[in-house]
Amino acid sequence: MIQFSQVTKRYPGGHTALENVTLGIEKGELLFLTGHSGAGKSTLLKLIAAIERPTGGAVTVNGQNVGRLSRHAIPFLRRNIGLIFQDHKLLFDRNVIENTLLPLSIAGFDRREAMKRARAALDKVGLLNRERAMPVALSGGEQQRLCIARAVVSRPALVLADEPTGNLDAGYAIDILHMFMDFHRVGTTLVISTHDERAIQAMGGRVVQLDHGQIVAGS
Amino acid sequence: MNSWLAHHLASLADAVRRLLRTPFSAVFTALAIGVAITLPVGMYLGVTNLNRLAGELPTQPEISLFLKENASQGERDALQHKLSRHPAIAQQRFVSREAALQRLNAQGLSDVTAGLDKNPLPDAWVLSLRHANPQAMEAVRQEFSAQPGVERVHADSAWAERLQAMLGLGRQAVLLLSALFGLALVAIASNAIRAQILARREEIEVSRLIGATDRYIRRPFLYYGALQGASGALVALGILALLGMALSEPVGQLASLYGSPFRLRPLDLAETAILLGAATLFSWLGAWIAVTRTLRKFD
Repeated sequence: MIQFSQVTKRYPGGHTALENVTLGIEKGELLFLTGHSGAGKSTLLKLIAAIERPTGGAVTVNGQNVGRLSRHAIPFLRRNIGLIFQDHKLLFDRNVIENTLLPLSIAGFDRREAMKRARAALDKVGLLNRERAMPVALSGGEQQRLCIARAVVSRPALVLADEPTGNLDAGYAIDILHMFMDFHRVGTTLVISTHDERAIQAMGGRVVQLDHGQIVAGS
Repeated sequence: MNSWLAHHLASLADAVRRLLRTPFSAVFTALAIGVAITLPVGMYLGVTNLNRLAGELPTQPEISLFLKENASQGERDALQHKLSRHPAIAQQRFVSREAALQRLNAQGLSDVTAGLDKNPLPDAWVLSLRHANPQAMEAVRQEFSAQPGVERVHADSAWAERLQAMLGLGRQAVLLLSALFGLALVAIASNAIRAQILARREEIEVSRLIGATDRYIRRPFLYYGALQGASGALVALGILALLGMALSEPVGQLASLYGSPFRLRPLDLAETAILLGAATLFSWLGAWIAVTRTLRKFD
């Protein structure tokens, strides 16, 4: 489903985030990216969603070279990817249900159908009773769950999560990992960057370790 | 299609909400746009009104041919004969000195004429030419100045020509001013939208990350810009209406002093529609430029 072929990413200023990375990810796979901070985990995820473009090599998703996509094609790639951010990136001027509805509104769903799906997604992450709450009123764990609901509401085949449990205490983290297991079971491809060893051991799945922009284990 | 329409309606509602949420900046932007529109449109109204006034005056320039007081009957007959057969002259009309005096009295100058012990006015012919160009007029003027019994030939075309030239200049100036202020309008709207964009930077960024097209992101801003332009146009219409009310009485008084039924004409329905449409369009364009520039900066 995802193929990295000798991918290099150098940022302006000379910092090399990824160097000569070759990696294949199968459909339905659960993959953990590990490594110290700055090892290139976030960059790898960004390359998949075309948030960054590689400076060398090719990243293909479903046979599409995403580094070469035109700016008009990128939104349609992203609609098939659920993105979960460490800092949540919620919209603080809208309530929980409106945040969850955003991807569906963007994709052009009928409002009634969208409401049904948004409630289902909120139910899955346990926030259905907070649908009118504003994000500031949510705890850190709840904000992360809302971010997850927004990522999966349009039922993407691929979910990318960047340190989804990074800021959470252990109890919340386990809740969230259980949610990911559920998505994995229904066939969603999951790529999760983390340095939470317990999580990896609890969930199984493939582990790819990055060090200074290179794969050192698990390719 | 349905959801597309829904997003348009949602964008419009969103734009209205945002305008109402910052009433002060919305009002001030509307005022700035309104004043920018008022200047060229006010000038346009001035020129069209002057044009109408000029239209009430004889458009064909005339030549007045004044006779000597002591012109003999023979000279008068010869002159009439010559005028009636002249190829350049389309019409001629004799105004006797008595008729001229009566006209003055009718125009409300009887106070002045009553003080005169004898009629000072000469007999005159008023001519209009087939081709009223300056050369033809000058030729006729010279030809008849030399005719015996003729005191003076006056070609009063110059002021009419000057008026027409000035009105033409005015129309040109209105066009140029409109273009200039259209540009100003785009700039004002673009600036107002920039503040909006800054306030919603995060929303734009997040929307892009989860698959929003440029078009989707632009939409609410375009509605905001369009609404801002339309409200500016309404302000301009308000200012023009106030100006019209303030000026209509003095203009009416002035006109009636000259015995003219002339009244100021406000914008008609079509012109009002064009004004609203153009302001909306230009402001929309300003918003489009501002948002598109921001979106490119994100890349």
